[in-house]
Amino acid sequence: MPATTTEDLGGGEAIIRLQDIAKSYWREALEIPVLKGIDLDIPKGGYVALMGPSGSGKTTLLNLIAGIDRPSGGGLEVCGYALNDLDDDELAAWRNAHVGFIFQNYNLVPVLNAYENVELPLLLQPLSRSERRRRVLEALSLVNLEDRMWNYPRQLSGGQEQRVAIARAIVTDPDLLVADEPTGALDHKNAEEVLQLMERLNRELGKTIVMVTHDPKAAHHARHQIHLEKGVLDRMVEVNQ
Amino acid sequence: MIGLLVLLPFAAYLGWLLWAAFFLPVPLSYNLRSLWQRKVSTFSTAGAIALVVGIFVVVLSLAQGLSVAFVTSGRDDQALVLRPNARFELNSSIERERMRILKVHPLLAREGEQPLCSAEVVAVKLFQKSNGDDTNVTIRGMEPMGLRLRPQARIVEGRWFRPGVSEVVVPRKMQGRFPGMEVGGIVKMGGRQWDIVGAFEAGGSSAESEIWTDVADLMQAYKRDSYSTLLARLQDANRIGEFTRSVDEDKRLKLEVVTERAYFKELTKAGDPIAVLGNLITVILTGGAIFSAMNTMFAAVANRTKEIGMLRALGFRQRDILASFQWEAILLCGAGGLVGAGLATFANGIQTGTTSFDTFSDVGFAFTITPGLMAQGVAFSLVMGLLGGFLPAWRASRIPLTEAMKGG
Amino acid sequence: MTRSWVRTLLVLGTVAVSVFLITVLQSLLTTLDSMSNNPNSSNRLVVRHKSGLTQVLPRSYENYLRQQPEVETICGLQWFGGYYKDPANFFANFASDEATLFDVFREEFGAAGITESQLKEYLRDGTGCIVGESLAQKNGWKVGDVVPLTGTIFPISPRLTIRLIFKARKPSDENVLHFHYKVLEEGVPRFKGRVGTFWLRLKRPEDIPRLIERIDRHFANSANETLSETENAFNLSFVKMLGNINGIIQGISVAVLVAVLIVTAGTMAMVIRERTTEIAVFRAMGFRTGQVLSLQLAEGALLVTLGGLIGTLLAVLVAGAVRGVMGTVMPFFADFAIAPRTMLLCMGTGLAIGLISTFIPAYAATRKPITEGLKTL
Repeated sequence: MPATTTEDLGGGEAIIRLQDIAKSYWREALEIPVLKGIDLDIPKGGYVALMGPSGSGKTTLLNLIAGIDRPSGGGLEVCGYALNDLDDDELAAWRNAHVGFIFQNYNLVPVLNAYENVELPLLLQPLSRSERRRRVLEALSLVNLEDRMWNYPRQLSGGQEQRVAIARAIVTDPDLLVADEPTGALDHKNAEEVLQLMERLNRELGKTIVMVTHDPKAAHHARHQIHLEKGVLDRMVEVNQ
Repeated sequence: MIGLLVLLPFAAYLGWLLWAAFFLPVPLSYNLRSLWQRKVSTFSTAGAIALVVGIFVVVLSLAQGLSVAFVTSGRDDQALVLRPNARFELNSSIERERMRILKVHPLLAREGEQPLCSAEVVAVKLFQKSNGDDTNVTIRGMEPMGLRLRPQARIVEGRWFRPGVSEVVVPRKMQGRFPGMEVGGIVKMGGRQWDIVGAFEAGGSSAESEIWTDVADLMQAYKRDSYSTLLARLQDANRIGEFTRSVDEDKRLKLEVVTERAYFKELTKAGDPIAVLGNLITVILTGGAIFSAMNTMFAAVANRTKEIGMLRALGFRQRDILASFQWEAILLCGAGGLVGAGLATFANGIQTGTTSFDTFSDVGFAFTITPGLMAQGVAFSLVMGLLGGFLPAWRASRIPLTEAMKGG
Repeated sequence: MTRSWVRTLLVLGTVAVSVFLITVLQSLLTTLDSMSNNPNSSNRLVVRHKSGLTQVLPRSYENYLRQQPEVETICGLQWFGGYYKDPANFFANFASDEATLFDVFREEFGAAGITESQLKEYLRDGTGCIVGESLAQKNGWKVGDVVPLTGTIFPISPRLTIRLIFKARKPSDENVLHFHYKVLEEGVPRFKGRVGTFWLRLKRPEDIPRLIERIDRHFANSANETLSETENAFNLSFVKMLGNINGIIQGISVAVLVAVLIVTAGTMAMVIRERTTEIAVFRAMGFRTGQVLSLQLAEGALLVTLGGLIGTLLAVLVAGAVRGVMGTVMPFFADFAIAPRTMLLCMGTGLAIGLISTFIPAYAATRKPITEGLKTL
């Protein structure tokens, strides 16, 4: 597949720019390439599902975009920053300001209640307690869970847990949401609920979403699907909704 | 110099941790609740640390009890005159003629015509303790002025002894450890019967290991014609050197002078065997406790790998994680330390005794658990947390971010 | 266990340290025990003043004691309490009757291989002295050296010439200096015709109780009553003077045991909780509860036994250092050694701790329904 441009993904200003991205792991003296020569632009407001079989490199690609891993080669610019130029601390601050994370297994802290879990990323920002409270409540109301904010994760259902996790992802008002198999641990009904919520975030709040999934139903909610095969972009499919 | 090089980074790290407790983003409540979550391992580790800190505080209190027994006894402006090389009162002897010369020494403090000094005899007598074992007890015969020179001693029952009528007073503390020491009772010494007419306390000092009586009575009973020692107050504490020289150089005297404080300090050595043993035990136990704390924290980190990865993904930095887990270890050990310091209070006030191998006589002392010692115990536990927690916290801070993305 | 070798090592370390400590403590106790349990002393008897060690007996008592038919030989001994150069440099020194000393303490000097000529040298020189080999080594003394001994209890500081350096079976017996009784008698007028203790050697140990009774009755109601006891009882009275060492050591041993039990049980609980799924899988495959349980138990026991082994080994290795440290503050501990019996006892205790601390959490894990264990997958 040739380089994918923003034009292919609905047009507009690129929020993610990947240029000739390569990533390999070293196992002893053996180099194992995971991603090779990825060129990809994703426009602001896009909603992209990364798909592909196990080992195709889709999660690695997501990690690179989210700034929790660094490429072996190539350049990437996300939300206006060349990530290769940032040191670890700057990268951490950048993630906090620009990226919201949604994980397959929610990754809520079991000893913190819903409110505190959502508040976590705000602790890194110079906000007053009341301002934090305002934002947490806003995020929780967006996912419709204000009434469960004093509950601990084990007192919530899987769907509710994932909605708390989504509230945590958006509480800092990031430009970009990354999601790794967000419905992987959910049953059909809850999965549908979470996907609809993500779609709303994309459409109503204009959040750019990059989601890794192997579930075609989930991928159907995205605007575009990008398939990876053995570390290279294979094809792009526009979703007709 | 090398010490400074080691200490400096340590102090810097400590300072940073303190700062982190207030200004770094991961709240301490997160750590507290995580500890509470893993009740089994938290309680087992904290329990072990509590025991170690308990032993630590008791050992400290022992050393403290002994030094209270001796050090508080001594004054800088009072001196003991002894036979050269005698080292202890028990070994010393001063003939009546020399004593007469000593008592008119111009450097002694005076009250009217009376010099503030007491010629004394020290003897020991085997007594049976409540548990049936025999031990040597110090018997001190003193002149009436002897009581004036020991203002910390006060009678708590009955009255002081009178000269010439074979009366003794016993320490209140001794009454519990030796049978038959009640006021109104009788002790046999030197082939005579002595009436116990009073019980006294002396602020925990070593006097509380001695039976006191009149010096002339004691000399008569033990058929002795020389004193053991002279306890004297000087006009001026700064002239002790002058006094020492003149007593040493006077051909009629040729005696040794030692300040009361220095003398008692030397006596504290009686506690050395127990203190050395106690310190040995504490050092070894501390090693074990640190291992245990480290183990618990490593397990905690391993169990929370994904959680830590997630925190890093959200934007928390490596040092935030390091501080957070370091504090978790410190809280864990500190909780154990608090409990241990509390446990140690059960030992408070227990009377016990040992025998000085220099004088072969009994030294009674009490375990005294002061708030200061308890604070030392807690501080000790915090240090254990610092040492035991550092490696696990370091490892936590090195967990790759991508762990957060791993399923399962 | 291989899953987390750091943690395995830490458990091992905790157990090793605890077993080490208990081994050392228990060995201190057995050392104290052996002080008052010397098999060579079974036919020796000590006669001293009833009022305590600072009182002395008249020399004239020796005649009566010697006349008793059970007595083989008798030696007068007085603790001198002197020091060489530094008061902190403690060693035992006695003024003793040179003629009978080697007979009464035949067993102690037996290992020395003292030649007739060496002995004559000492007997001939009135200001001569004999010292144990380890004491001589510590101070760098050779035969012929002059040792100035500063008296503390007695107002004399004799200069003694070393005439003989002897070997003994026990280190504490070598940390000793003897010199002629005459030196004390001539230097301290009030000691003329007086002696601190008489050490009697009996022909037959069975006679001891009878003789004790007879001696003490004979001198009862005299100006100087006697207290006679076996050498072991005499030594025991010194051990007891230290205070309740036995109680303190046993108390700490128990505390350490409890602590290590708590810690290992806690650790094993963590390990087994991490394995709940694995245990459930084993059971799902058809392993019986007992089999799964014994698998876990074997592992825990192995770990703790290994820790115990390391701890005991460590204790044996540092026994010399402990002897050094404790020996300087408490003369008894110069004989500190780790008895095989103590080693076995401590390792056995370690094994028991391993089994108990693994059994509790492992048993709990096998009680759980299999489905619950599999759910955590």
